[in-house]
Amino acid sequence: MAGLDVDGLGRWLRIYAASVAEHQEELTSLDAAIGDADHGANMHRGMAAVVDGLAATPPADPAALLKQTGMVLIRSVGGTSGPLYGTLFLRMASAVGGETALGPETFAKALRAGVEGLVARGKTELGDKTLYDALGPALDALDASLGDGEPLAAALHAASRAADSGRDATTPMVARKGRASYLGERSAGHQDPGATSAALLVAAAAQAVAEGA
Amino acid sequence: MTVGIVVVSHSRALAEAAVALAGEMLQDGRGPIEVAAGLDDGGFGTDAIAISEAVARADQGDGVVVLMDMGSAVLSAELALEMVDDDVRERVVLTPAPLVEGLVLASVSAAGGASAAAVAAEAGDALEAKTAHLGPSSPEPGGTADTAGTADTAPSGDDERGSFTVAMPHGLHARPAAQLVRALHGLDAEVRLRNVTLDGPEVSAASLSKVATLGALHGHEVAVRARGGDAAEALRRVLGLAEDGFGEAGPPPATVDVEDRTDHRPIPASPGIGIGPVRVAHRAAVTVPDARPGTPDEQRGRLDDARTRARDQLQGVRGTAAREIGEAEAAIFDAQVLLLDDPDLLADAAARLDGGADAARAWADALDEVERGFAAAADEYLRARAADVRDVRDRVLRALGGAEEQDSAPDGILVADDLTPADAAALDPARTPAVVLAGSSPTAHAAILLRARGVPAVVGVGAALAARAGEAALLAVDGSTGEVVADPDEPTLAAFRDRAAAFGRRRDDARRRAHEPAVTRDGTTVLVGANLGSPEDARAAHGADLAGLVRTEFGFLDRREAPTVDEQEASYRAIAEAMDGRRITLRTLDVGGDKPLDYLPVAPEANPFLGVRGIRLALARPRILADQLTAIVRVAHDHPVDVMFPMIAAVDELTAARRALVEAIEAVGRGRPADLRVGIMVEVPAAALKAAAFAPHVDFFSIGTNDLTQYTLAAERGNDQLAALADALDPGVLALVAATVRGAGDDVLVAVCGELAGDEAAVPILIGLGVRELSVAPGAAATVKEAVRAVDLESARDLAAAALTCADARAVRALTGTDRTLGERPGAPSVPWTG
Repeated sequence: MAGLDVDGLGRWLRIYAASVAEHQEELTSLDAAIGDADHGANMHRGMAAVVDGLAATPPADPAALLKQTGMVLIRSVGGTSGPLYGTLFLRMASAVGGETALGPETFAKALRAGVEGLVARGKTELGDKTLYDALGPALDALDASLGDGEPLAAALHAASRAADSGRDATTPMVARKGRASYLGERSAGHQDPGATSAALLVAAAAQAVAEGA
Repeated sequence: MTVGIVVVSHSRALAEAAVALAGEMLQDGRGPIEVAAGLDDGGFGTDAIAISEAVARADQGDGVVVLMDMGSAVLSAELALEMVDDDVRERVVLTPAPLVEGLVLASVSAAGGASAAAVAAEAGDALEAKTAHLGPSSPEPGGTADTAGTADTAPSGDDERGSFTVAMPHGLHARPAAQLVRALHGLDAEVRLRNVTLDGPEVSAASLSKVATLGALHGHEVAVRARGGDAAEALRRVLGLAEDGFGEAGPPPATVDVEDRTDHRPIPASPGIGIGPVRVAHRAAVTVPDARPGTPDEQRGRLDDARTRARDQLQGVRGTAAREIGEAEAAIFDAQVLLLDDPDLLADAAARLDGGADAARAWADALDEVERGFAAAADEYLRARAADVRDVRDRVLRALGGAEEQDSAPDGILVADDLTPADAAALDPARTPAVVLAGSSPTAHAAILLRARGVPAVVGVGAALAARAGEAALLAVDGSTGEVVADPDEPTLAAFRDRAAAFGRRRDDARRRAHEPAVTRDGTTVLVGANLGSPEDARAAHGADLAGLVRTEFGFLDRREAPTVDEQEASYRAIAEAMDGRRITLRTLDVGGDKPLDYLPVAPEANPFLGVRGIRLALARPRILADQLTAIVRVAHDHPVDVMFPMIAAVDELTAARRALVEAIEAVGRGRPADLRVGIMVEVPAAALKAAAFAPHVDFFSIGTNDLTQYTLAAERGNDQLAALADALDPGVLALVAATVRGAGDDVLVAVCGELAGDEAAVPILIGLGVRELSVAPGAAATVKEAVRAVDLESARDLAAAALTCADARAVRALTGTDRTLGERPGAPSVPWTG
């Protein structure tokens, strides 16, 4: 297949926005346990603005779409996930160059570049109980599947499962970053809201590619 | 060097409050401080794009220091750095300093001209003073870094040495410390200070956070040691500052407000010319007198006596203000009286007395506590009240023997940030040729009082220009044009003297002809009356044709019960007799929820000026109105009397008030007084627009332009920020005057009794619009008559028509400005600020 073009990426983001809307309460209650109870509302506000923006000013190519998404998230999310997700999309935008459709390798490389930007921004590592605990395993699974010759849809499906496992693995962790880290040991026993929304992002990518196929 | 500062917070309110707090430290200007906080929808959050824009705005080429609160603020600030231009990014420092403490230190350091790195370092030390203060487990004051610094750099040999005793009642707290740091900036000198009284460590005078660790309280001795090329100059500056009480002057919040105002155009506020030396109003804080021995009971007695004296003085000031500007304005002094008797405050002072403090110390400390609370309030109105608290504090301390430095001030043109109404009321016009204020507005109470007292004034000149004026040896001020010239050259001085002579001639002419009627050039007679509050006012109303407004409130205030009919009759009769046959216009009681009377309780209202006041209150309490009308009718049988109802908005209200008048006439039982006329105040825009509906029921309309302007422009009179907006010459207000005249028809007289009537620029416009009576402050009647005599009705009509088409009050004033100064000053007005 040709890969993800502007329409495919737009579908990804719309699916993600719908998924965030659907899980808004869950994200907020997870955040209420260990943070400041705004992750659901913040992400919902941010993604709704992204979808509105795509409709109002349709971007010309993947780089423009990803950049626009990053900027809107930075502007409208408000919490820590704003600069983190914002950086992810901005770095993806720089990584895709002028391509009009992203092949599997390009998409995977761009996503990795985005996640690396996010890691640098948050100065986080695996086990800190953050978004990266879902995204890191997802990237590895994505690369492995593509390396095995799987198509992008299947590889993203595998990545999504890895992200879900990574997300589940955050539950026993003690937070070392973000507002949750103020709770220290008390943060253990709660699933990380950031990892949860990150897993939804990967799942949305898998669904978007599957629907586009 | 001007380093910009950016404050990043999740909360816009938090960031703005932190900036306001930091602003209190800066008495004369500051570099750019930009806020990037909260989300566009008002929620909590940070936005990297907004931060990058704030950085770009704050950058003036010398770098930017960014302070952040937590979490996403840090990440967003880092991300923002990626979004700014490369050359800007190199100049930006993100500092981990705590937001509030760090901002205070950073803004002082930046205002002193430090580099971005130095500002960031200073902010980074912000926790030191607090850490040193709290907990014995904390490091020694000054911290280890400073101790090391002392060892490395300890000056020896040819040091300049000196010492001073801290004179400020609050000690060498942050604001004077900031003055000190700034005074030393740029000198080639290393200056170190040590609190000798506490035997503390030596610290660097270059660092605000270090100076704060001195803990130098009132009376402590501080040793100064300086070395380097400018050591002697540095020592001189430190000791000089200490001598002057570290520039502790005026209410600090005003400075912030002035700085925040975008419009620093000098505004003429009281006409006349003043030439003279400068007298900067360092309202040096009244010092707390030395402790006097005595038992707590004796101390309590002294404090009570002092409070009683303060209360008497305040009532005196209040009386002056009530007569000269009006009851509503005088009410601000009621707030001060209330504070004198505030139970919480008295309990606090009593506890301090029981703890062994003497009367002065207990009072000063208790009031300082309250003042700090107000000064830190987020609400602008509450912050402004801090000045009232200080007024009350100082007044009582003076009564307890505290040094009063104001009286020793030499004669001269007063330059200050702002004036309290009490200051303005107490000013001696003979010793004060003019007043120049950094803040304030022509409609502020202080300005109204200055006009009433004939002191020329220019206001709203901005902190920077006021500072320049304050440094001049000689000032020339034109309160009619807003010109203030610092150190004028000989030709300029001569021109001002000519203007002063012309102004004086005009005033003398006015006095000479005061008793002649005011007739325009083409023969139209315009009545010029005086606004009165007492028989003394009536005697001061030189040349007034009538009393166009008698404020009857004076008989009702400061009492536990309403005045009786007999008491009211006596006081109205006294005014009528003082006016000696001239008509008096008695306005019925005009009070509201802003100052409820004991016997006239009003439920608390969120906005008393839009609440149950004036006729609304009178109709709700028919007994009070009935008594007052009875007294008025009795006087009206012997003197020419008008009765006037305030705050009328609906015909029903007038009908009910007239019915009450008929009942009063019946109660007196001598028939309707032959010469009794009835009118209403036009203060509510609706009344102006419905004038035709009121006209059949009245003999006259009297337009209260102060309230009409306030209600029409939705701009509170006392708010300096709105000075330019709340101008009664706004074409919208003039259109309402025109509507009133139109609705009045031929048989109903239209008067103006607000401030506008006494504004000589407005006189031709009002006459052109059809106003035929002007009622003004007692002292202004003669000059307003002279202004009427200069009017030609035809051209006044043209002028009024043109004014109605103007966009704003400034344009209207531009129309009149040329006429007003014709023949006095050749050519265009000179540049307002020169030399």
